[in-house]
Amino acid sequence: MKTIALYSIKGGVGKTASAVNLAYLSSLGEPPTLICDLDPQGASSFYFRIVPNKKYSSRKFLKGNKKIYDNIKGTDYENLDLLPSDFSYRNLDIELLEEKKPQKKLRKNIQELSTEYPFIFFDCPPNLTLLSESVFVASDIVLVPLIPTTLSLRTFDQLVGFFKESRLDTSKIRGFFTMYERRKAMHREIIEEYSGKKRFLKRIIPYNSEVEKMGIYRAPLNAVRPHAPASMAYQELWEELRGEIKQ
Amino acid sequence: MRTIPGPLFFRLSDALDLPVFFKGMEKSFTFQAQPVRKETLDWFDTFDWKAWSRKSAIVRSGSRLAILDMKSGHELCGAPVRKRPRSFFPNDIDDKKTASRLLGISKLRAFILYGSVETETRKWRILDENRKTVASIELLSLPGKKDGKRQLFMKLSPVRGYGKELETVAGHLKQYPDHSEKITCLDYHKEILTAAGITPASYSSKPSVKLKPGDTIQDSARKLLLPTLGVLYANEKWISKNIDTEFLHDYRVAVRRTRSILAQLKGIFPPEELSRYKKVFRELGKRTGNLRDLDVYLLQADRFRNLLPGTMRDSLDTFFTDLGNRHKKELKSLNRYLGSEKHTRLMREWEAFLRSEMPSDPDITPKAGTKTSDVAVSTIRKAWKKVIRHGREISGTATDTERHTMRIECKKLRYLLEFYASILPAKNLQTVVRQLKTLQDNLGTFVDLSVQQGYLNNYLSRLEPGADNISSAASIGGLVTALYHERENVRMNFHNTFDTFDTPETEALFNELLNKHR
Repeated sequence: MKTIALYSIKGGVGKTASAVNLAYLSSLGEPPTLICDLDPQGASSFYFRIVPNKKYSSRKFLKGNKKIYDNIKGTDYENLDLLPSDFSYRNLDIELLEEKKPQKKLRKNIQELSTEYPFIFFDCPPNLTLLSESVFVASDIVLVPLIPTTLSLRTFDQLVGFFKESRLDTSKIRGFFTMYERRKAMHREIIEEYSGKKRFLKRIIPYNSEVEKMGIYRAPLNAVRPHAPASMAYQELWEELRGEIKQ
Repeated sequence: MRTIPGPLFFRLSDALDLPVFFKGMEKSFTFQAQPVRKETLDWFDTFDWKAWSRKSAIVRSGSRLAILDMKSGHELCGAPVRKRPRSFFPNDIDDKKTASRLLGISKLRAFILYGSVETETRKWRILDENRKTVASIELLSLPGKKDGKRQLFMKLSPVRGYGKELETVAGHLKQYPDHSEKITCLDYHKEILTAAGITPASYSSKPSVKLKPGDTIQDSARKLLLPTLGVLYANEKWISKNIDTEFLHDYRVAVRRTRSILAQLKGIFPPEELSRYKKVFRELGKRTGNLRDLDVYLLQADRFRNLLPGTMRDSLDTFFTDLGNRHKKELKSLNRYLGSEKHTRLMREWEAFLRSEMPSDPDITPKAGTKTSDVAVSTIRKAWKKVIRHGREISGTATDTERHTMRIECKKLRYLLEFYASILPAKNLQTVVRQLKTLQDNLGTFVDLSVQQGYLNNYLSRLEPGADNISSAASIGGLVTALYHERENVRMNFHNTFDTFDTPETEALFNELLNKHR
């Protein structure tokens, strides 16, 4: 089992879109794939039209394995399942504090799923909290979408710094650029400087209004518009990532 | 790992009005029709139905081969296949997971195309108020059995986490008891097989025969021999197709079993016929021997290669090409014989003889009326004692022939235990057979390794001297050495293996087994 977290301190950088599209692509090649929506806003759950069971809550999530297993739902795509988030997830940080080893909690909680899913994706909320730390420990790859701006890069550096301070494995971190607009000089310059460098993937996701329409399609863009520029870029990004994982 | 509920299956009558059925369902559901799918399902299994016995279905549709669990309806794995194969081996499949699952089902047997069926599937997605798919309905129509009327089946597939919604739909179907009948997933697959004209599990290399202890041995012998002839018939026509090596193997086992029974029938079958058919089957054993040996070498090609250092492996190619050519020749000559009028006539006569009324003249068949259980007890006891006696005599330096004889004696004992299995206590028998099998494995490996060394030495001596053959000769020499060391290991293990068979416990088991009919 490989676990991939889509994570960024900053919001609105394309975490959910990336998690949904990459998880969908993974489900085609290495079925089945699970996507865990950890964001109380529940955007990836929304994209798949999935509402959590009424009795499901952050408490159940923290109980782990069986409780998680029972609340996994199938998406409309054959080999792609989703663990929906609940609004109560906003309390996850406080609840995690009550746990014995909060950083290791998530890893322990999904252990039992490892036999079923070759790939698990985490769609994370945009902040740096105890839950994020738990995600960092549980993930094999922390995939960070970045808009090619200085502010984005600064948060990336902050993340690397945090990993170092917390003695986490910085080699897990992989940045990639999203919402790239060629006409913007700053975008071009940043891409030129960082793309393919240490901790950065080569493939870039261009700005594509189709990505925003995912909220209307309520489906992975790669499933409904596989030839959209962003879909094709996600396909290439997934291949690059798969290549790295195989190595 | 917890299990996820599988699909539900129903047999439907064509009088079920679907639009009415859909309308009658909960308002929150909508039904989204999918394109109609027409496809041909090709069913594969090994000749001896290994997949079926594990309740797995190997089905190809379009360009995809899938393995399904027939109990739950779940697909276990799947792989792309380009052409429609008549048969294939696990290693012909590119997908690793599928190939390894197929290998788990059978290592030696090919998967053959048993039959095909044309299906038409109409599918609907069931959507909830969020337009999320919560289940799907598939209507499968199959060609009818006799009247040409198509049969209808419904497959109700759940989406994970939406069990309640599935129950609602299934519950709704209960309102139409005259038009729908719930069936198991296995029954559903059986229906598809029937429509494809396939009767599953129609072959077994060891047909089970129920004997009665009080029946005369003459009747019991015929009861045993007829199904064994059935095995010969079943395999005969496949040997020529050269699909896998097990057709010939099963054929040879059936020949040996026949011979082994015939050997016990002095005074039970008329002597003239007995000696005639003993000859017939000895001849069949001989005629199939060479081809089987070649099969074994070719099956071991990879193992042989791996016994040598990488640099010497390629030199074995000529050897294996040569074996392949010999195999072709032997197969041709065996096919000629099996297809000959003589052989066909002999087999027919043998069958007629087994089915005919046998003379009850005490001068010709004085022992024909002996009770089956008496013969079983005495022959098994004799064979077992022989194995023990011989085994104790075998020293570390015993010749290959001595071990070969011992192997044959073990085989005889094994066959006897299997013939009379239906009148012996199953539990004891199982233990005894398991122990005997370990001993047989040791002897079998030893003899095989000896024969292989002999064959290679013979091959070596026939290689023409000259620079061209130097590397071949070196590789063959290397192989002989490696096989020699392997054989010596097996030789050293013999006494340990035999000692675990020759124990007071096993003796007690045998006595218990045989005392049942005292």
